[in-house]
Amino acid sequence: METMFPALIQNETLKVLRRRRFLIVVGILLVIMTLVSYSQYRQLKAAQNQNWRAEIQEQVARYENRLRRGGINDSWARSMRAEVRRLQFYLDRDINPRQPTAPLVVRTFANAAGFLLLPLLIGVLGSDIVSAENAEGTDKLLLTRPVRRWKILASKLVTLWMFATLTLIVGAGLSWIVSAPVLPARGWDAPMFNGFSFAGETFTVESVRELPLWKDALIAYGLEWYALIAVAAIALLLSVLFRSSAASIGTMLASLIGGTILTRISPDWTAGKYLFVSALPLADYYSGQAPPYEGMTMMFCIGLLGAWGIGALIIAFVIFTRKDVFG
Amino acid sequence: MTIALEAASLTKVIGDRTIVDQASFLLKAGEVFGFLGPNGAGKTTTIRMLVGLIRPTSGSVTICGYDIRREFEKAMRCIGCIVETPDLYRFMTGRENLEHFARMLGVRNGEILRVAELVNLANRLDQRVGTYSLGMRQRLGIAQAMLGDPKLLILDEPANGLDPAGIREIRELLRSLAAERNMAVFISSHLLAEIEMICDRVAIIHRGKVLREGPVDSLISSQKAMEFRVSDVNRAAAIFHDLGAPVIKPAPDSDVIQVSIAESEAPPLIAALSHAGVDIYYARPRVQTLEEMFIEVTGGETVG
Repeated sequence: METMFPALIQNETLKVLRRRRFLIVVGILLVIMTLVSYSQYRQLKAAQNQNWRAEIQEQVARYENRLRRGGINDSWARSMRAEVRRLQFYLDRDINPRQPTAPLVVRTFANAAGFLLLPLLIGVLGSDIVSAENAEGTDKLLLTRPVRRWKILASKLVTLWMFATLTLIVGAGLSWIVSAPVLPARGWDAPMFNGFSFAGETFTVESVRELPLWKDALIAYGLEWYALIAVAAIALLLSVLFRSSAASIGTMLASLIGGTILTRISPDWTAGKYLFVSALPLADYYSGQAPPYEGMTMMFCIGLLGAWGIGALIIAFVIFTRKDVFG
Repeated sequence: MTIALEAASLTKVIGDRTIVDQASFLLKAGEVFGFLGPNGAGKTTTIRMLVGLIRPTSGSVTICGYDIRREFEKAMRCIGCIVETPDLYRFMTGRENLEHFARMLGVRNGEILRVAELVNLANRLDQRVGTYSLGMRQRLGIAQAMLGDPKLLILDEPANGLDPAGIREIRELLRSLAAERNMAVFISSHLLAEIEMICDRVAIIHRGKVLREGPVDSLISSQKAMEFRVSDVNRAAAIFHDLGAPVIKPAPDSDVIQVSIAESEAPPLIAALSHAGVDIYYARPRVQTLEEMFIEVTGGETVG
């Protein structure tokens, strides 16, 4: 008569769907991706009657001027220099890096949405998965069934991970669906250049790998998925810590946005590299964007997110299984 | 008789406040047990400790022979409960709610119709709980508690939100569950009349302590009293006092005085009154209602 774990996951899934949270997430993604694909379409139209080489060269010159004038902080300067060298790399190979295609929109979604949008949406999905039961008083019933508390929390965690995965898949799917009709749909095998690395101030092209777009996209989505799994664990912790759904969702959003602002405006405060928000744009770092702090290698970021996720889960499970449930 | 629930010296201390202090009571199978106490007496905290929502500071809860801390799953399989308000998932239908909890118990779906019919809710099962009246939610709560055929029902204020007909229905349902299925039913309530009508035994909790526990009739008959209407209440009180008879209510503004003595002890008091020249209009035994006993036991605090 042991309660089956899949039955608990079925319950939690039903509740997420009935609360219409996931519908909201899909709606937000649809609106945003429609806008993105429209803007890409405009860009495509604009790019068709332009000399892209001239434009890229002009951009490189703009960056170099800005760098010569100085007065910008180290991290900005570093990423600007990297961008210059990246563009130069494309110029040398005679590839237009800005030619938008539907596969490119799908690929870019991993970077663009992964850094703030998807973590926010996971926050919306996850932050009230426990606290809503407190707020609605249903925790009294849920926790007086013959099921151990750790199993209940584990079923919520697995459900949240499933929806985080689904959100990423739906996001990728939607970005294809809205962009394929208006942008060139071919180009899954277009070459992508990744792995621009920084050894101090010197930019090295030796480590650059050339991958077909689809393979490159899979890696970026894989990294993004890993980051979202960690975000989901943190959302679960917040949901356990706060009794009200508004407080837990609010804290999640504030820490994501606040952490991002912090890494942008105080890059000299190096302890900031231990914030989970600093490590979130894994896909960006993979694509060659410089992390905001020195010493943030890919392995460091992956390890940091893992540590945050595991730490959050330990605290969440200890609190949830021990706490007194008052009215 | 098998013991369905045993609370032994249950204590909950939060900070320096003792919310529940050494509460002990027993529930046998087939018995309806009433748990009475004014607001803030520790009723809810006690119930939450019984169902494992709050960890007792000390003491233990045993359900059908299983310790609730060490064998939580086995103990909880014997319980169906409603704690405080019957909160179910408002965004789901009645049926989805019952299916949700049936899955947690590993109970067949056929059970759902059975419990829904038991509380007269079968025809409203496919509407969202958000559209239910409080009475319907209360009945859905009871249906949910009945899933999996528990040996012990713990219901917090089950009459809340029900109309008189609904209250009668629930009362009959609970009595028949206890009588026919040998179920133990634990009810907390502030409706003393309700408890008096439905319960076999009662415990009274006040300021975290269980003050009385026993069968309803014995608690009441143990509180037998005589009532005298006399010409001079103050003199009568003084005379009773001299004779060592405990005066319950020396009401100065009325001419009725109550003494907690049995009928057989009355004649010497009557003789003493006439001897002292106090006129007696009547002397009669009075059976205390549970409510009066309750007010006396808790020091005059009202309930609910």
